[in-house]
Amino acid sequence: MEFKVRACRFNPEVDKKPYYKEYTIEDYPGMTVLNALIKVKSELDGTLSFRRSCRSAICGSCAMKINGISKLACKTQVGPEIEKFGIINVGPLANMPVIRDLIVDQESFFDKIKEIKPYLLGQREDEAYNGFHVLKEGEKISQPVYYKSEFQNLTGNNDTPNCILCECCYSECGGVVGNPGYLGPAALAKLYRYSEDPRDNDKNGSRLVNGSKADGMWDCVHCQACEEFCPKGVSPVKSIVKLHERTIKNSITFSAGSKHVVSIAKSIRKTGRLDEIKVAFDSVGISGLINNLPMILGAGLKGKIPPLRLKLIKDMEDIRLAYKELDLEGK
Amino acid sequence: MITYAYYPGCVAQESGKELDNATKFIAKKLDINLIPMPEASCCGGGVIDGFDRNLKLFINGRTLALAEKGGLDIMTICNTCTLTLSEVNEELINNPESMEKTNEYLAKIGLKYSGKVKVKHILYAIRDDIGFDKLKEKVLKSLKGINIAPFYGCHILRPSSVVKFDDVENPRGFEELIKALGGEPVSYARRTKCCGFQTILVNEATSTSLAGNAIYEAQENNADVMVTPCPLCHLSLDTYQTVAAKNINKKLSLPVLHLPQLIGITLGGDYAEMGFSRHNISLKSVMAKIRQNKI
Repeated sequence: MEFKVRACRFNPEVDKKPYYKEYTIEDYPGMTVLNALIKVKSELDGTLSFRRSCRSAICGSCAMKINGISKLACKTQVGPEIEKFGIINVGPLANMPVIRDLIVDQESFFDKIKEIKPYLLGQREDEAYNGFHVLKEGEKISQPVYYKSEFQNLTGNNDTPNCILCECCYSECGGVVGNPGYLGPAALAKLYRYSEDPRDNDKNGSRLVNGSKADGMWDCVHCQACEEFCPKGVSPVKSIVKLHERTIKNSITFSAGSKHVVSIAKSIRKTGRLDEIKVAFDSVGISGLINNLPMILGAGLKGKIPPLRLKLIKDMEDIRLAYKELDLEGK
Repeated sequence: MITYAYYPGCVAQESGKELDNATKFIAKKLDINLIPMPEASCCGGGVIDGFDRNLKLFINGRTLALAEKGGLDIMTICNTCTLTLSEVNEELINNPESMEKTNEYLAKIGLKYSGKVKVKHILYAIRDDIGFDKLKEKVLKSLKGINIAPFYGCHILRPSSVVKFDDVENPRGFEELIKALGGEPVSYARRTKCCGFQTILVNEATSTSLAGNAIYEAQENNADVMVTPCPLCHLSLDTYQTVAAKNINKKLSLPVLHLPQLIGITLGGDYAEMGFSRHNISLKSVMAKIRQNKI
C-alpha cells in the first residue's frame, strides 16, 4: 500500500519559516515510522534530517511529533497511524528550538536535568566504608546490601529509572509550553528519584527547597501529558505529586503552590468543600488579590463570587474522622 | 429514565452555579434522574494527593461508597472530579491493600465499597447511555451555522489508562455531540491541551498563556464560541480571558460556554435559565446568531 509522509522541513540558515514536503512510499507489514523516514532519506531525499540510532526504543534519539503527538519513530508503526490519520505527518519535538528539519536543540532540556543534580549527594554519615582505601590482607570489597523494600525506595516509584531522556514528556508538557523556564517532567521525576534515595546525603533538604522555588515542582499544570505520552511507561506527574507530598510533610511550605494545596486540605477538613475565596487568599495573599482586583470585581458584578461562608456537607464528622485516622488533624 | 448519583463538584456549586443550573435543566429535558449527594465531599481539586495520598483515597472512597450504597453510578460535570474519582476507583479495584485500608475507615462510618460504581462524565454519559441520535431528536433550536470550538481539557482524556472515554490522540466525542446539535465543530490543535487552571493561583503567567493561546487559536479558526466540559477550564477560559489577553498581548473576545449550557440552548433554555449573565465574555452576539435559526 502506498502512503504519504508529510515532513516538516526547516533550515534556519536558509529558510524564513518551516514548510512541509510530501513523499509517497510503499509500506510493508510492521513498517515503523523510522523505517519510512530511512526509506525517504535513502531513496527519495537525502537532505531530510532526523536523529536515530538504536531502532529499539532504548536510546530515545528518534523522538519526534508524529501526527501531532511526541513519539519514538522506531516504536510507532505506520499501519495504525495511517488507519487513524490517513497520513504520516512528522515534525520536530516542541518546546525546543529546531536545528534542522526534525532535529531539535536539546541543550535546555539537559541543562534542566543537570540543574537537579542527578547524582547522589555526599556520603551517608553512618557508612562504615568511607572513601577509598587500600584493602588489607584478607579484606573483601564490601557491597551495600539493601532489602527489597529499601531497593524500591532507591529508585523512587520504580518506573523513573526507565526514563531514556527522549524528551517526549518535555515536548508535550503544558507547563513548559506556558513557562519555558519550568524544569519539566523528566528533570522533576529525577529530582523525586534522588530525594527518595536513602543513599543520598541531602542534609538540609536542599533538593526539596530548591525544587520548590520558581520554575520548579509547583509549576506543574497536572495536564497528565507526560504520563500519557511517555514511550517507556514512566509517570513523571505521579513523581511530581509525590515530591509535593514529601515537601509538605517536611514543612517546606514557602511556595504559593504548597500553600495552595495545604489550604485546599484545610478547607475540606473544615467544610467538606473547596472554599474558593479562602484558597485564593491563602495561595496568593492580599497582594495577589489586589493585582487581580479588576478581574475579581468584574466577576463579582456578574455574580460569580462564591459564598463567603460555605454550608457544611452532610455527615461532616465522617470527613473529620478521615483526617483523624490519618493523623492529619492539625496539619 | 436513567438515574445517576449526581456529583457536581465544588465549583459548580459555588462560583460556577450556572453550570449546575444548566445541568439540572437539560437533565429534566433528557429524562435523566439526578440523585443529589449532600454527603459527598470535595474530591480534592486534583491536588490533594500532594498533601496526603491516603486522604485522597479515603474521602473519594467515601463518595464512591455512598453511590454504591444507593446502587448508582456517578455522573460528574467537572473533568478534574472525573479524573480524581476515576483514579481512586481504579486504585481501589486494582490494589487490595488500598481497598482494605479504605474499607477499614469506611467501616467506622457505616459504609463499605466493593468497586461496583462507574464514574461517567456528562458528555460521555449522554453519548453512551442516551445516545447522540436521541439527543438530536429533542433539539428545538439548532446550532446550524455556528462554529463551535470544543475544548476538551486534560482530565477527561488523560491519562487514558484511567479515563477511558475517548481516543486520547484524536478524540471525537465532543465533535459528534456538536454535530448532533446541528453545529459546526472547529478543528484546532489546542482542543486537547491544558487550560492551565491548576497553576492559576501559583503561576498566573504560565496559566493564562495556556488559556489565552487556546482561545486565540480557536478565534483564528473562526470560532463563534468555545465550549468546555469542565468548570475549572471555564474559569481559565472565560473569567480570566481578559487577564490572558493582556498576558499574551493578543485581542481576545471569544464567549465560552459550559457543555450543558450548549445543550440547554438547543433544548429551549433561554438566556436567564442558562445563566449567561454570569459570564465574563458576553454571549449576546452568538445568541443572536442562534436565534436566527428557524429550528
